[in-house]
Amino acid sequence: MSAGTLIARKSVRARWGRTLAILFAITASVSFVVGSFVLADSLRATFDSLFQELNEQVDLEVRAAQAFDSDDARDPIDVAIADAIRAVDGVAIAEPILQRYAQLLDADGQAISPPGGPTFGVSWEGDDGLQGVTVKEGRAPSGPDELAIDKATADTEGFAVGDTVSYLTDIGTFQGTISGTVGLGSADSFGGAQLVALDLETALVHFGADGKVDAIDISVADGFDVTEVQRAIGAVLPPQTEVVTGEEVAQETADNVNQFVGVFGTGLLIFAFITAFVSAFIINNVFQITIGQRLRELALLRAVGASGRQVRWMISIEAFALGALATVLGILGGLLVARGLIAAFDAAGAGFPDTKTVLQARTILVAAIVGIGITMASVIVPSRRAAKIPPVAAMRPELGFAAMRSRRLVAGVVVTVVGITMFMVGLFLRPGGTRGLAVFAGLGALLLFLGVASLSSTVATPVTRVIGWPIEKLFKVPGALARQNVARVPRRTSSSASALMIGVALVSSTAVFASSLRASLVDTLESAVSADYIVTDSGFQGLSPVVSETLAAVPELEAVTPIRGISGQVDGSTKNFGAVDPVAFDKLVDPDLQSGTIAELGVNELLLHKDPAADLDASVGSTVDVTFQNGVEQTLTVAGIYGDATFGNWLIGLDTLAEISEAPARDFFVIAKLADGVDPATGDVAVRAAMAPFPQANVQTNAEFLDSQEAQINQLLLIITLLLAFAILIAILGISITLALGVFERTREIGLLRAVGMNKRQTRRSVRWEAVIVSTFGALIGIVVGTFLGVVLTLAVPDDVISKLAFNPTIIVAILIGAVVAGLVAALYPSYKASNMNVLEAIATE
Amino acid sequence: MSTPTPPAPLTPAAPTASGATAAAGAIDARKTYGVGDAQVHALDGVTVSFEAGKFSAIMGPSGSGKSTLLHCLAGLDTLTTGATFIGDTYLASLDDKALTELRRTNVGFIFQAFNLIPTLTAEENIRLPMMLGGDSGDQAWIDHVVETVGMRDRLRHRPSELSGGQQQRVAVARALASRPQIIFADEPTGNLDSVTGTEILSFMRNAVREFGQTIVMVTHDPVAASYADRVVFVGDGRITGELTDPTADQVIDHLRNWN
Repeated sequence: MSAGTLIARKSVRARWGRTLAILFAITASVSFVVGSFVLADSLRATFDSLFQELNEQVDLEVRAAQAFDSDDARDPIDVAIADAIRAVDGVAIAEPILQRYAQLLDADGQAISPPGGPTFGVSWEGDDGLQGVTVKEGRAPSGPDELAIDKATADTEGFAVGDTVSYLTDIGTFQGTISGTVGLGSADSFGGAQLVALDLETALVHFGADGKVDAIDISVADGFDVTEVQRAIGAVLPPQTEVVTGEEVAQETADNVNQFVGVFGTGLLIFAFITAFVSAFIINNVFQITIGQRLRELALLRAVGASGRQVRWMISIEAFALGALATVLGILGGLLVARGLIAAFDAAGAGFPDTKTVLQARTILVAAIVGIGITMASVIVPSRRAAKIPPVAAMRPELGFAAMRSRRLVAGVVVTVVGITMFMVGLFLRPGGTRGLAVFAGLGALLLFLGVASLSSTVATPVTRVIGWPIEKLFKVPGALARQNVARVPRRTSSSASALMIGVALVSSTAVFASSLRASLVDTLESAVSADYIVTDSGFQGLSPVVSETLAAVPELEAVTPIRGISGQVDGSTKNFGAVDPVAFDKLVDPDLQSGTIAELGVNELLLHKDPAADLDASVGSTVDVTFQNGVEQTLTVAGIYGDATFGNWLIGLDTLAEISEAPARDFFVIAKLADGVDPATGDVAVRAAMAPFPQANVQTNAEFLDSQEAQINQLLLIITLLLAFAILIAILGISITLALGVFERTREIGLLRAVGMNKRQTRRSVRWEAVIVSTFGALIGIVVGTFLGVVLTLAVPDDVISKLAFNPTIIVAILIGAVVAGLVAALYPSYKASNMNVLEAIATE
Repeated sequence: MSTPTPPAPLTPAAPTASGATAAAGAIDARKTYGVGDAQVHALDGVTVSFEAGKFSAIMGPSGSGKSTLLHCLAGLDTLTTGATFIGDTYLASLDDKALTELRRTNVGFIFQAFNLIPTLTAEENIRLPMMLGGDSGDQAWIDHVVETVGMRDRLRHRPSELSGGQQQRVAVARALASRPQIIFADEPTGNLDSVTGTEILSFMRNAVREFGQTIVMVTHDPVAASYADRVVFVGDGRITGELTDPTADQVIDHLRNWN
């Protein structure tokens, strides 16, 4: 074994506490990274095979064609098409598929809402059909008085086969007997959704489908070629319909889900990398300090013949070994994290089917890069410094410290400026679209953190003196000692505080962004929208048009309009068209009309925002050719041009939408206004009474809507803080190790203080407040940096979305309180260590 | 070796025993700290040489420059002007890599304190210079050295499990193990009680007598100096005198007279 390896190994073994702390930091980061990948890969694999399985019996599917790829629901097709298909040679089964809104009611007539999942009504032909539904108990429903429900809902609500239950649909309330319970493969639930299954005849009537279905699934008889049959079916189809293979449908469905899984996985991954970044800071700091402590040892090695390279090598081997071990532990930890998250989702009602755990080679590679990479990167600087220690430092340590010092001010300023520039370029210039934005802004923020971490040591002494002032006043000598100890090692203070700074900066930038978002929303609601009520959908399918029709019939309300949507292409680029009731919209919204009319918006007319109007060089009376997603082509005449984009850039009337598409109308939300002279209390009673039969409609006054938006913003902040929990925990651990190492270095000094009469409590107190000063310092810098990032971010968002800047002092206070708590937690071990020192031994220490 | 052979050392103030070869030495060595009025001359024109196969001592009061002289002779520190050499190599001509190599193969060290790597066992510490060079050393010789310093039973102990005297014995063994051209000792008994100190000094003298080892030791203890074959006195960065085969009393007299 070479001397380098030997010493590295011994060093790891002799410094267990430090080694464990570093191991924890890296393992946590790697676990998080691996967990994100494994979770996404596992869900993807699960959904892929699930949808393949579900569509196993479906060879072909007939559905409405789309003119271009769109997330909009396809138009429904005539159920009678199924008869034409059945007549085609080689078709074994042709099963119309229908899915609409339905929701079960409990014994008291209250709607049952599954936690976090949607509620569906579907048509189901039982075993004769092709849908991959598994019967758990009983049998398929048959006739207008029967229904099947998912077993998970039956179990939680205590429903059994044979019970009579009521359910809501878009057109009313129906009653039926439960003929059976169903599940999806081995799972009792359909991804957490509540399911009401009816036979086709009943479904067409009860769901108000008006003889139209979503699609027709087909199985091809044995001995026939699927492609041949597909061609034959294609020949009998009416225009604007298409026939595709079952695999394609399965893949499209899986892709849709996977897109969501991908976004979710990427989100987790970002926080995983933040954790890794914070860990690198801590590892760097720990190595930096321990190299200072091993200075004489390293100098002695140099004196007896170790070259500078050997010293650097030694420290690198030590780091490599730790990184490699942590990578292995991290991969195991990551598998646990992924399983844990899936279990947590299941507990929250997601109802995932049996999930495989997928560990790809790519995940292992990334884990190794992160685990070994961050450790090695963190010791580049410390090991270089160690190599610079002159051998004479074995006898005169002060020369060693002088040699290790390096100038960081210039580098810090450069890195900070480059970071800020990249961040701004990314957000404002967006080179290369969204990807460029993410890369530039992300790298910029990273550099900014590095730069600030390096620069903060120059302000550490004065700032911590100010933070320490009240502590000194309050705790006399221990407080004064804490204050001085922090100030005398500014670089160490700033680097252990930096880890916390990053977490705090991310939270506070989000806070600025969220507060500004809320303030802008308040502004819009107060100035542009004069609605008293906002009705949103608490499910996931959008509101039935019955909701807005019912509200429109309430005499206390003066104006009611739903907001619907459809996508269409103008000059080959896809636009989202909003559809409203023009007369009501005119009374409810002031969209800063610049020319034309709103109220008199007619069929096949268009209201256009000034920006696209300028792009198209359109004015009132101009025409715009649009191809909608269902293939309908329509020339729209511009009736008005407006300046406020709160409701989007393209608006048409509800009647125009009805002309274009037969798809079942779904409203994003409905806004309504009380008539003049109606007492708000009376009006409120009337509105809520009218909405009572619609549990999925969430009726909110203007103020309630704002409150709920605020609650959502706070929830977002909370989730971000939770995702940063690992990073914050590691930051606290970092402060703790730094402090413990500091206590170790000051053994003699502490022994002396104890000898001249400082008691254990005072000793603990001085270490504790030292930690609090460091953590508060980190939080302060984090708030400053985070607020800056948040302001830039907010300014970069178009004015349509965020029009004004706002700050949230409550969150800043909460962060500062959190920082004090973090400091107290970090001090637990070092303060115990300091106060339990043997005084005699401590003084005798060289 | 491409390094030029040093010229015969200039005649020092007090000539060495005639006919002996110099194992190490300094020629007009100057070491200055600070600038202007704050300038301090740690070495102020020292010319001295130390014979091979002899035990030499450098004595002087605190701040006399004796430690600086030793550090510069050993290649641990550099001169402001002048030259130092070990054997036939001028240290100033070496880069850090060559200097490291020289220290590893040709020089041994014994310090006052913090002599050993705390995480390594006694045996690993003894073998350290050889291991750093990637060879295992002469096993028979190492065994002999370990036997001589009486540390055979303690080879697996860590420094923290050894007494000060035992630690210093391990340090002596480490210095001897690679059979260096010269061993430099910096107050090797400074931290030890008189009995243990005497023991270490006897080891060092025996190493010179029996193995022909060259040792240069810095000390301020007249008793320690009396173990040497020759004592060179340093004061204010200059050589102030020397004694051959001194006794402790002679050393004390010399110091008193000089003061």
